[in-house]
Amino acid sequence: MEKNMGERNPKNIGCIEAGILENALVIIAVLDPKGKILAWNRAAETITGYSKQEVIGTATIWRHLYPDKAYRDTVNARLAEILAAKDYFENFETTIHTRSGVTHVILWNTKEIEHEGVRRVIAVGQDITPLRELDSFRESIIENANVLITVLDRHGRVVMWNTAAEEITGYLRTEAIGRDEIWKQLYPDKDYRNTVTRQIKEVISTRQQFVNFETHVTTNTGEKKIISWNTRQIAFGGGMNVISIGIDITDQRNAEETLLAYMTEMAMRIKQPVEIIRDNLIDVAGLIRKNQITPDETAMLLDGQVRNATQVAANVLEFQKAILERNRSIPEAYRKFLEGA
Amino acid sequence: MPLIVRPEDLDKKQIFLILATPSNIRQRNIELIKELAALEYHTIIVTLNFPYNILSKLYAENGIDVKNVSFVDAVTRNSIGNAENIPGVVRFINNPANLTDLGIAVTEVLKENSGKKVCVLYDSVSTMLIYLSSQNISKFIHFVTNKLRLMDLSGVFLAVEKGLDPMLISQLTTFVDTVIDTG
Repeated sequence: MEKNMGERNPKNIGCIEAGILENALVIIAVLDPKGKILAWNRAAETITGYSKQEVIGTATIWRHLYPDKAYRDTVNARLAEILAAKDYFENFETTIHTRSGVTHVILWNTKEIEHEGVRRVIAVGQDITPLRELDSFRESIIENANVLITVLDRHGRVVMWNTAAEEITGYLRTEAIGRDEIWKQLYPDKDYRNTVTRQIKEVISTRQQFVNFETHVTTNTGEKKIISWNTRQIAFGGGMNVISIGIDITDQRNAEETLLAYMTEMAMRIKQPVEIIRDNLIDVAGLIRKNQITPDETAMLLDGQVRNATQVAANVLEFQKAILERNRSIPEAYRKFLEGA
Repeated sequence: MPLIVRPEDLDKKQIFLILATPSNIRQRNIELIKELAALEYHTIIVTLNFPYNILSKLYAENGIDVKNVSFVDAVTRNSIGNAENIPGVVRFINNPANLTDLGIAVTEVLKENSGKKVCVLYDSVSTMLIYLSSQNISKFIHFVTNKLRLMDLSGVFLAVEKGLDPMLISQLTTFVDTVIDTG
């Protein structure tokens, strides 16, 4: 039974190993100390487009994979640097050019072995192009988002600060990343900062996240902005990081406050004057009934109320125009009505 | 009947914001002038609501000696177009929205009454809302209260209660010494 399994037969073991290496989904190349290729598996052929026949026995493949001399020199210099300290390298990332001209990102790991007194290097290259493309896609989304996105580690230090964060706060990522000082800069008032910190801790302790939490930040230029924050905890490196998304709602809040102020002013400058005119007319009627005023005086009082009413109507028109100026999206029919046309 | 303003506060040259219901505000005007006259104050009434000739008639009918009152009338010319000033009695301004003219007229009447115990009564902040934005009213009252304090004079601003927005009320409250809601 043991014989049938073949594990103990060195020849069979060699065949199995060769089969595994040949059919592995990663590039596997065996090199001599001068970089000459001794073995080149199927995945290496598939990924690079170069066949075994083209590469085995030569070291020219590297010129094909790294056609740009400057880049090739950089790779070689970095390799020399690593190999000066140890006889292998781990997770060394390079960008290769395939036969068809497409670029792939390869993550290299090597191992030096000695076989029958001869040194060999086994290089394993994992094609991480899809991962890098995904990273790049994510990065592109984060960088092009028009909302502030930041990631904090468990100590509150900033580990990510996107372009919108730079634009909204005026603080560059070089000033924010790796530190927690940015919060002191955004909340320079100690009392307010303590209040915000306390509120955040309260929310986090109960819900682990907060939604639409508004704070007033001070930008690098001293401008005040209102940010609406949403956070989520994300697993990272065995711990939890916090991703915070901040939307600058300063303009929205200002518009709401302006609209509220307009509405209040309009209510005050219509309701109150109309009540005054009403009460004045009640008084005039009372004075007439008691024969306390002459017809001329009556006419003057009524003229006064006509002028008041005319002014109130003018005020209303003024408010309507103000609303039109602030709301460009009002439909044409309503626009004409509000314009008093 | 209790007094609307305390004599000792008037003696301290305080400035008051007096609130009243719409139906009571005219009566508060008359009561205040009576109180001020009893305390030997000469009242300069800035009227934006009823014209001088009607008010002086109403005051007389309510037992007020109109010699104790001077008028700055922002109504008459606005209604009938023309009226001549009567020195020591009344000054007319053309338009209640013209705060510069209003300020000048008050200053002139104050000069005419220099040496007297004077109190300036504005009737009313609420009527000003017909012609002025709350922002301009606030600026004007700030200007007037500063002027009254510099001249060491008392002043009263009448307004309809619950008719002013919270922002305007809070601003006016900071300008005056005492707010009295008379109901």
